[in-house]
Amino acid sequence: MHDRLSFYVPRDSILHRLNPLTKLFLVFGLILVSFISPYYWTPHLLILAGIIPLLFLGNVVREYVGAMLRIILPATLFLFVMQALFQPLEGTELFRVGFLHPTLESTMFAFRNAARVFAMASSFTIFLLTTHPRELMTDLTRRGLPPQFAYVIISTLQILPQMHAKAQTIMAAQRSRGLDTQSTYLKRVGSLLPLVGPLVFGSLVEVEERAIAIEARGFTSTRAKTSLHEIPDTGSDKILRWILVLLVIASFTLRLWQS
Amino acid sequence: MEVITQNIVYFAIAIAIMVLLFVWAYASGRVQKDFSTMTWVLIPVAIAINGVIGYIVGQIKLPVFLDSIGTVLVAVLCGPWAGALTGALSNFVIGMLTNPTDWWPWIPVAFFIGLVAGLCANAGFFKSWWKVVVTGFLIALTAALVSTPIAVYFFGGITSSGSSFITAYLLQTGQGIIQSVFSTNFLVEPIDKISTAMLAFAIIQGLSRRFVARFPRPENVQTDGGTSRTQLVIALGVVVLLILFSVFVLNRIIAG
Amino acid sequence: MAIVNLQNVTYRYPFTEIPALKNIHLKVNDGEFIAVIGANGSGKSTLCYALAGFVPHFFKGDLTGTVEVAGHDLSTSTLSDWVLNVGLAFQNPFNQISGAKYTVFEEIAFGLENIGVPREEMKQRVEQAMSLTGISNLADRSPYSLSGGQQQRVALTSILVMQPKVLVLDEPTSQMDPVGTREVFGVIRILAERGMTVIMAEHKVEWIAQFADRVVALHEGQLLLDGKPAEVLTSDLLPEKGFGISRYTSAARKAKDQGLWKKDRLPVTLEEAVEGFRR
Repeated sequence: MHDRLSFYVPRDSILHRLNPLTKLFLVFGLILVSFISPYYWTPHLLILAGIIPLLFLGNVVREYVGAMLRIILPATLFLFVMQALFQPLEGTELFRVGFLHPTLESTMFAFRNAARVFAMASSFTIFLLTTHPRELMTDLTRRGLPPQFAYVIISTLQILPQMHAKAQTIMAAQRSRGLDTQSTYLKRVGSLLPLVGPLVFGSLVEVEERAIAIEARGFTSTRAKTSLHEIPDTGSDKILRWILVLLVIASFTLRLWQS
Repeated sequence: MEVITQNIVYFAIAIAIMVLLFVWAYASGRVQKDFSTMTWVLIPVAIAINGVIGYIVGQIKLPVFLDSIGTVLVAVLCGPWAGALTGALSNFVIGMLTNPTDWWPWIPVAFFIGLVAGLCANAGFFKSWWKVVVTGFLIALTAALVSTPIAVYFFGGITSSGSSFITAYLLQTGQGIIQSVFSTNFLVEPIDKISTAMLAFAIIQGLSRRFVARFPRPENVQTDGGTSRTQLVIALGVVVLLILFSVFVLNRIIAG
Repeated sequence: MAIVNLQNVTYRYPFTEIPALKNIHLKVNDGEFIAVIGANGSGKSTLCYALAGFVPHFFKGDLTGTVEVAGHDLSTSTLSDWVLNVGLAFQNPFNQISGAKYTVFEEIAFGLENIGVPREEMKQRVEQAMSLTGISNLADRSPYSLSGGQQQRVALTSILVMQPKVLVLDEPTSQMDPVGTREVFGVIRILAERGMTVIMAEHKVEWIAQFADRVVALHEGQLLLDGKPAEVLTSDLLPEKGFGISRYTSAARKAKDQGLWKKDRLPVTLEEAVEGFRR
């Protein structure tokens, strides 16, 4: 988990300036097409012709590569290996070690799946890198999302890293006392309870005062809410969204056509 | 082989159904009273509790997840729909901050954990230790049922969770994929979810009555004198028996 | 003209037998600055919550008698309407941060967004309020990165920007260090000078003496004293009932017993004490 409040990288780029909803359409468009399209190489092609250009449009290549190497690549590699080895697809056997006998079919199957998951995780990462949560929530609230949902999301994004930092302090203290792995389960839990308990109860007790504080500032007001920030939504945003919807419909039609 | 074609379309449909269910419940006004300001403020804290306890438990390598204690807390204090929302958002946000591939596919599981915990609590099954064990078991059953299709259709049965090695083993012994995944889940979930429910109950017992009364459903935890030590011992005994039963079933599956 | 009018108010929290407030009568005139003193559990906070509408609307429980602010009756108003007239700030500055905002500017605008103030007016009001409380330099900081005193000033500004008719402060400096206390009282001084109607629960007697037009002393949920600061804060009843009083008052009282204090009235502040002893 990150000490930062989100992945967001403040920068000025075409992708940063795009309306957040358009970016959401872009993400889900990429994901849906890569999963729905009947052609084997679609997800691979989308990575090359979609994800990579988007990185440059968003000017977040360095940050993306960092996240990709740390999270996305290990996860997809694991998925690839597990599925290539264990997917019970009969066919040309590649090799046999003990009870492991991956086939060409299971490997190809795993390769496509890995590419799909890779494309999915990558497009979400790009979205998070180029979109401030505040902008997304302001835009969605303007479009009719109840403002309480925006409150919950942003509040979570702020509270979670704070609590996590406290938990890390607790764990560091445990480690320095050698209580993390050497001792028995019972001892480990016993030594943690007096530390985790106050953390949990403390955070729960705060709930009442915070509820009073936001009620005092009109949280439950029935008036139509306004917003401090204005999120631009241009004509080209709307056109782009329609193109993405059409692409998804087209790949769904192709899928039905082929089967 | 079409059965295990990883199909995100099913997943998207499942998510859409969940969202529609929620929107229907929320917009029809039947659950508005469950969503007070206290609920909205509790949800982020509950998600943080999910994340933090899950993290600590992972760090000390306990053989459980315990990453839905907050979800159960909300479900019990604010009703099933608030619980469902907490579960879904919890997996969404924690995934966003850590590793989406580990968390997002299980959003429906977390949703139903909250929903079932809330329904059980509304039915009065969160008032004494043994009732909490029953609730925990029902949550576990739900979690096992919901996660099976996700693991099968989304990951082809093999996920990045440690328990996938059991599934892989079962697959090699010639079990069908759905049986393998469900058996694995059924072995792993009860211990985790019963502990989760019991810890959530312990936390609620530690909160003052006046504080609990601020939430929309304080009547769910007005205990009927079942919080005694004897009850706790009986409940723990039941849990130990369940674990032994799981091990027995596991042996049978491996043998058969 | 009375803007706040409490008539025979008695209130019990849920699950309690003893009322937290007993037969309270209190009238506050427009522009008055009232300090409420009392020990822990005397009903100070409950009185603040009752004025701000959270008793009984948020805490539930039984309230009898009438609470009126600016001609509205609490029993027939909703909490979300009530908070437009009465602003509330309380002890813990950290818990008053909404958590929904990333910068101090946004944090202060949060209340205005909720009540639907148009964007341009919102920006103007936020800027004005921030310059009034002297926190314009914090506009782009994260509310979580601030000191306690700064956070409390942000909390005060977040309420002031909503332009309530009455401001209720529940021990706003009780969790502050001396620096934070001075910062927060700096803001309160400005409010007092601008003629805002303020009701502040506080136990720092020496500060109260500087601002308050009137002091109300609560004891076990009942109104014990209500009068000018110089009278109430030096009353012999206060030490008897276990109130915290100014050390200058208690020093002068001892001196008076020995015949060393010649004035009729006991001092509250250092200046009054120095002046009294000099004679």
